[in-house]
Amino acid sequence: MLRAIDVPQTTAEALSSLARARDALVIGGGTLVMPKVQAGISGLGALVSLSRLKLDKIAIKGDKVTIGAATTLAAIGEERGLAFLQPAIESVGSPTLRNLATIGGNLFTEQPYGDIAVCLLALDAEATVATKRGMKKLPVAELLKKGIGRDAIVTAIGFKKPEKGTWFYRKAMRRAANSASIVTIAAHCSQSKGRVAKARIALGGCGTKPVLAAKAAAALEGQKLDADAIAKAGALLIQDAAPFTDAYASAWYRARVLPVHFRRAILGE
Amino acid sequence: MPSTIVTLKVNGRAQEFLTRPGTTLLDALRDSLSLTASKKGCAQGTCGTCTVLLDGKPVFACLVPVETVAGRSIETLEGLAAGDVLHPLQESFIALFATQCGFCSSGMIMAAKGLLDRNPDPSRADVVRAISGNVCRCTGYEAIIDAVLDAAAKMKKAAPSRRKAAE
Repeated sequence: MLRAIDVPQTTAEALSSLARARDALVIGGGTLVMPKVQAGISGLGALVSLSRLKLDKIAIKGDKVTIGAATTLAAIGEERGLAFLQPAIESVGSPTLRNLATIGGNLFTEQPYGDIAVCLLALDAEATVATKRGMKKLPVAELLKKGIGRDAIVTAIGFKKPEKGTWFYRKAMRRAANSASIVTIAAHCSQSKGRVAKARIALGGCGTKPVLAAKAAAALEGQKLDADAIAKAGALLIQDAAPFTDAYASAWYRARVLPVHFRRAILGE
Repeated sequence: MPSTIVTLKVNGRAQEFLTRPGTTLLDALRDSLSLTASKKGCAQGTCGTCTVLLDGKPVFACLVPVETVAGRSIETLEGLAAGDVLHPLQESFIALFATQCGFCSSGMIMAAKGLLDRNPDPSRADVVRAISGNVCRCTGYEAIIDAVLDAAAKMKKAAPSRRKAAE
């Protein structure tokens, strides 16, 4: 049972509150933390809520996007300037869940959930993290690998909006809506003169956290985005992936369908 | 840690109650305010039986610590009927046999109300999407979708005359 829940008004208060209680967790929308509270997991004594910190603003200036960490997935899905992310948003949970779930929380979700974290990794997004020593910027890639440590709060996430026709997303699910990922593919392939200039591919369902498929991305660079190049890159995905077995799919199945869904993602099949 | 006093606007009326740390909105509605239409199914945010509207948007009340929504507006199934006159969604659920065991019905109706408040003319696909967070283990989904579409049609028909009356 919880001993305390703090609903601070400022980030500084939230950080002190976290520092005071060693058994506290940060709570955004509650979709990750509350199931733990309800299940009565041990060692969780307090919650520090982000609900009054006003971390729910979306700012778009040119191609520069900054999203407050407590912005709901529903709000991001409704933002016209972020239409490229809408299919990814709508692939997560249900509309009811998305009215609570936040973009910041998505970074701390374990696979096969957390499809927005897969997108943020492909976008090479950067998190703004508040600590007692001040604010710092942390690439999402690093955050996903190492976490942010105790006494720290993600306050915002920033990235550059991809140019039209350079963003690809696909999530394979057991049913059309409200299901975890079998595999998720998010890719940003910038192009120049009809060839891939730079590719960044992130995968879900291929490890406890989203992973970068660096070898497949390297294989795409300098190539035309045609069936041949996509097949060659698709065959390399598994070298950076560690698909797992759970109630949704076996590791074997995930590995088998990964290149198929990669092809479908890129060719829009 | 002592209990705190929380104030909510529930179905249009200010409500004040004492709550222990980390009490969910669902438990507060059921145990402190005796509003038991919202059900506790999974308590994990996956079944949808606890769906209520928070500032007009459907949310899972089992995932919301009530202290974090103090001062905000909550709508539950109990707020839908006007005295003995049922809401069109409730009427359509009865008329089209959209309720079997009934455990999912209040959550289904609140998710549907969240949809119709924003989109009075939904497609079948819109309805499916809106209730995709709600589980019906009697598997009566088709009847539920029919009922929501029926209610939307009835409300659309009624809307122009209501506008006229207001004039």
